Amino acid sequence: MEILSTYLNLLPVSLAQGAVYAFVALGVMIPFRVLSLPDLTSEGTFPLGGAVLATLLAAGFNPVAGLLVAIGAGILAGGATALIHLLLKIPSLLAGIIVLTMLFSINIRIMGKPNTAIFNYETIFTELLNADGGAPLSQFALLMAIILGVCGLLFWFLHTEIGVALRSVGANQMMSRAQGLPTKWYIVGGLGLAGALSAFGGAIMAQFQSYADVTMGAGVLIIGLASTILGEALVGTKTLVRQIAAPVVGALVYFQVVAVALALGMEPSDLRLLTGIFVLCTLAAPLIAKRVARMR
Amino acid sequence: MDESTYPAIRVEDIRRTFHPGTVQEKKALRGVSFDLRPGEFAVVIGSNGAGKSTLLNALAGEIPVDSGRIVANGTEIQNWPVHRRARLMSRVFQDPMMGTAAALTIEENLSIAARRGQRRSLRFGIRKSEREAFRAKLEMLGLGLENRLSDRVDLLSGGQRQSLTLVMATLKQPQLLLLDEHTAALDPRAAALVMRATTEVVHENATTTLMVTHNMSHAIEFGNRLLMIHEGKVILDASAEEKSKLTAGSLVDRFHDVVSDRMVLS
Ligand SMILES: Nc1ncnc2c1ncn2[C@@H]1O[C@H](COP(=O)(O)OP(=O)(O)O)[C@@H](O)[C@H]1O
Ligand SMILES: [Mg+2]
Repeated sequence: MEILSTYLNLLPVSLAQGAVYAFVALGVMIPFRVLSLPDLTSEGTFPLGGAVLATLLAAGFNPVAGLLVAIGAGILAGGATALIHLLLKIPSLLAGIIVLTMLFSINIRIMGKPNTAIFNYETIFTELLNADGGAPLSQFALLMAIILGVCGLLFWFLHTEIGVALRSVGANQMMSRAQGLPTKWYIVGGLGLAGALSAFGGAIMAQFQSYADVTMGAGVLIIGLASTILGEALVGTKTLVRQIAAPVVGALVYFQVVAVALALGMEPSDLRLLTGIFVLCTLAAPLIAKRVARMR
Repeated sequence: MDESTYPAIRVEDIRRTFHPGTVQEKKALRGVSFDLRPGEFAVVIGSNGAGKSTLLNALAGEIPVDSGRIVANGTEIQNWPVHRRARLMSRVFQDPMMGTAAALTIEENLSIAARRGQRRSLRFGIRKSEREAFRAKLEMLGLGLENRLSDRVDLLSGGQRQSLTLVMATLKQPQLLLLDEHTAALDPRAAALVMRATTEVVHENATTTLMVTHNMSHAIEFGNRLLMIHEGKVILDASAEEKSKLTAGSLVDRFHDVVSDRMVLS
């Protein structure tokens, strides 16, 4: 009973948290699923988005301007990873690690210090909800509205001529080249799109927790990946709608699982370990299933 | 030269060595030259490792040449990247999985092919009017794919995928069609279907075609030009008239004659 009431207390916040992380989960899904190109840059673009937004708010800009510049910064960072990968022929994972390492310094340069508090500034939550930033459930509702908009845009874009071509490049580069697609530019654009989503997620996060911190990206990749995998298990990947919905549903469910675990008395610091084990199990599942099938 | 008399494609002394200066050095193309007139359907034969795939990859731009020229419409294209050459040529690969994007639907694959070599915009990826055209093209295959436009391509068999690739390659008329043993990976029934579809699309628009085949009877039956490649060189270039007199047996004899002559000379 006590566990249930603890969980119910956590529910509104965990829903809002899941919605916050849905953006970066989308930003992780794009390279892994649409481009078939594993990429870690989100660990750097997420705090980049937060740093840009916090700095702009502190400098007197409004939250929308902050979000737009954060998106632009994310595109540049994602594009940088793609260019390093393509021009210098460095594996995409390593290219991403190089960029996220460099972003650590850049993010501190942007803020002028390792973190920036924005308690005293207007955010999308204070502007659109109420002066204290709104209750968790209304934050959740607002975020879901934004998520629906973002997913709608993504769905539309992936059905345009350029979007279909981007998915084609992700599915088969040799065929796409042979059909006249400059595949390199599509990969730059695709990782730019992923960077935009992750940075947007970081900028939302900064407003949600009222500060940006250079370390806020640590672990977001695995959270995004776990969300994507979880969501895919729940809604499937057969159609584009499902593939886009998966990271969102996954992020929401992931933070419910976390809330339950916390209600059961788990140490918050053990969370990463469990998330890692979960991702490991899902990645190993096909291999284990094959072994089991062979043994029979 | 008057434009109408340009060959569809001119290949001049192209050469390509893999791993030069190492123990694995392999001269895959050792000076290949030929012209294809518009509408010519050339069959390319040669033993394994002769350089046939390398030749097609060099034409498409997948493999850069070390020297030599490739000329289309009076323009040298040997330094163009693959995606730029796609304005002029299209191809069907040996592996049925290579020619289509598995995660995309049949109509999405076709929409990519319908815009081969064109600029893409933020307009909707498939237009209604196009769907009708796609259906009509797929109907010609007789595989029922016209009723499965929104099925993902990974649901199709190898033969169906290869047939789709062939439709994609000819949806937008290419100046040169490259086929690399495109029926070799299929079962005999599917291979026959794809071969029949090939002759139909090639003849329909008199498409200039370069078709590599491992199948001697295909080499005799199809096309109006024959190129035999051996160790990176064209060792036999038969015109339509010469080709019509060839039989599978005489081709094998010709091959052995040329090869043993060369051995005597070298
Ligand atoms: N990418 C490559 N790297 C090294 N050697 C290659 C490469 N592609 C082809 N070769 C070699 O070049 C020769 C010609 O190959 P290929 O053109 O594939 O022959 P085929 O006539 O059977 O299609 C072969 O000896 C092959 O091993
Ligand atoms: Mg070959």
